[in-house]
Amino acid sequence: MTGAAHLGARQPKAIQSALTVLEEVARCGSGVTAREISDSLGLPKATAYRLLNLLVQDEYLVRMPDLRGFALGRKVVELARLVAPAQPPEAVREVVDRLRSRIRGGIHLVRYDSDGVRVIDPDPDYPPSVSVRSARALETSAMGRLLLAERRGAESGVLGEDPDLAGQLATVRTDGYAYFPSPWAPGNGCLAIPIRNREGTLVAGLCLSAPAARIGDPAEFLALLRMGARELAPLLA
Amino acid sequence: MTALARAINDPQPVDGIGTRSPVDGLDRRSVGFLDVLAQSVSAVAPSAAATTIPLLVAVVAGGATVWSLATAMLLAFLVATTINQFTRRIAAAGSIYTFVSRGLGTMAAFVAGVGLLVGYGFISMFALGGAGYYLTIVVGRFWPALTGSVLVAGLLIVVMAALCLLVLARGIRLSTRITLLVEAVSVLIIVVLVVALLVRLWPVLDWSQLAPGGIDPANFAVGSALALTAFVGFESASTLGVEAKRPYASIPRAIVFTVLGSGMLYLLASFSQLVGFSALGGTIAASASPVNDLAAAYGIDAVGLLLDVSIATSFLACAIASTTALVRVLFSMGREGLLPSRFGRTHPRYRTPFGAALVAMTVITAVLLTTIALSGSIWQTMEVLIVGAAGGYMTAYLLVCVAAPVFLRRIGEATFWPVLFAVLAAVLLGAVLVTYLAVESGSARALGVWVFLGVMALGLAWCGLRLRRRPWLRDTIGVYDVPVTGDVLGGPGPADAAARESGRAGP
Repeated sequence: MTGAAHLGARQPKAIQSALTVLEEVARCGSGVTAREISDSLGLPKATAYRLLNLLVQDEYLVRMPDLRGFALGRKVVELARLVAPAQPPEAVREVVDRLRSRIRGGIHLVRYDSDGVRVIDPDPDYPPSVSVRSARALETSAMGRLLLAERRGAESGVLGEDPDLAGQLATVRTDGYAYFPSPWAPGNGCLAIPIRNREGTLVAGLCLSAPAARIGDPAEFLALLRMGARELAPLLA
Repeated sequence: MTALARAINDPQPVDGIGTRSPVDGLDRRSVGFLDVLAQSVSAVAPSAAATTIPLLVAVVAGGATVWSLATAMLLAFLVATTINQFTRRIAAAGSIYTFVSRGLGTMAAFVAGVGLLVGYGFISMFALGGAGYYLTIVVGRFWPALTGSVLVAGLLIVVMAALCLLVLARGIRLSTRITLLVEAVSVLIIVVLVVALLVRLWPVLDWSQLAPGGIDPANFAVGSALALTAFVGFESASTLGVEAKRPYASIPRAIVFTVLGSGMLYLLASFSQLVGFSALGGTIAASASPVNDLAAAYGIDAVGLLLDVSIATSFLACAIASTTALVRVLFSMGREGLLPSRFGRTHPRYRTPFGAALVAMTVITAVLLTTIALSGSIWQTMEVLIVGAAGGYMTAYLLVCVAAPVFLRRIGEATFWPVLFAVLAAVLLGAVLVTYLAVESGSARALGVWVFLGVMALGLAWCGLRLRRRPWLRDTIGVYDVPVTGDVLGGPGPADAAARESGRAGP
């Protein structure tokens, strides 16, 4: 991102700089000021302010009512295709589709990276009721808990936290799957199992959402999901 | 692009964004660039100015007329870029009044606001009077008995004021479309005349008229101050901040285009008038109506009627544009509580500031007709009004140039060049304002200076009284359009719902 430092708004790479600025606003959250953006991107102030004002003119950004801060404008939705994660390869989708035909319920494929969780292949027949974005949301979903368990495992519980949660995350690590009742759709629950690369790092996850009564005894689903995960691991890692 | 992609897939609610803007009721984000441009161009009335201002400047600056106009154009350009520091960041109906409040606070905003009201209000009366004056000349061509009749002019003024009110009520798009058409036609007529004159003079063209030799600096300064009055009104597009589509792009562009376009027209017109008279062996300063005289001298007298009609329509366009701007400033003041709340009311169907329009048009027409009746001459009334208007505009410009660096600093976006331009413009404007008022107070139009100072004092007294009764005004002065939930990513607007319908992994 600091590579954008030498870019001017009128140069051919202006589009790239503009996207960098948008990315920075998205990363910092609404209310970030022009000064903060120029500082964190290492852009000259005049360049940063010109880019920001151009983005406000085109309504990709909006100026907050205090006139200092910025937020993403409605129009950035038009950039979705530009910045959306690529669809998973056909081989991956075939495996997931096969699972969907054998299990009654929503099957979603998620990706884990340094920023968190991303649904890359949501079940078209059972759209996910929530997607995970903040630390709090990570705690309240199976796919999020899988990631939390992984992180806590690496940090060996140095963070002072809710002892209940710590215990549950330990269970996730020993069981090799996470289960959480959906807070949005009462009576439903979600099961998530990890997909790991050769080094054992968590890279993706398969999630099943179905009525809690059916997932109550997960053994039969787990077998199918784990089989799918084994097939997917070499394709995703 | 992960954070951006995530924000798009999964918009988060933005704190501090409401569902209504404080300037709710106007037809938000409805007019395009052409309409915004029309507003500024019409308020400047370049065709009327191109036929009258070169004469005014030439009387003082003589051979330096073209250079005085060029200097004024440069100054107007500096002011325009400084005002655009605001128009790129604030979408308001109160224009300079609102901008100054964001930079210098309530008291300075009062001065700028009253100055702006004087500018728009007096120019509206000036333009209505001018339209009446020239239409009476046209009427006189067909019915010689009515030539110079003040009564006919008064009746025409009332009819045109009613027309203005209708256009103001029916909506900004109607008024800008009409004014753009009218102004485009009159500019075209002027350009055709100028080109015809230059083509005829081409073989004997006297370029020495451009030589800036032997100019008295004081006269040059006065000439430039007078020439600046040909540009005032260029900022009026900023009163459409709420109603313009993509206001942060279209308004700055409209303001700069207007200054550059009308400046070029003035340079061309003043040059052609100078060389035209020089080729005749006379001087422009000795002529009462230079363009008509030139047209007659070069055998294109037939355009005289066309010219009168075009000047009249240009004045009418100017009246419509100036009242459009005026009522939006009044509307802002009504919304803030500085003026009674009826000024802040909008028309429920046409979404225009109808409350302010009704009061403003009534007052403008009544004051104009009374003044004409008292003085017995439209032209004298107009001379007083234009001086007052110029004083009002320049006061507002001066304050907005002082406010810009403070505002930029306040929001943490001050950079070298914008601040330098603002300071330069403020210093030059201060000098021009003082020069202008000093010169005019010694001229036949001295009354205009005293009227200007008197109205400013009255307006400020009103503001002071109002502030004493309503101390909370300090917190409300300076309303502008703020983004509502429909504008930001993550607000529950209808567009968002649609995006989610077609979206992928949304919540």
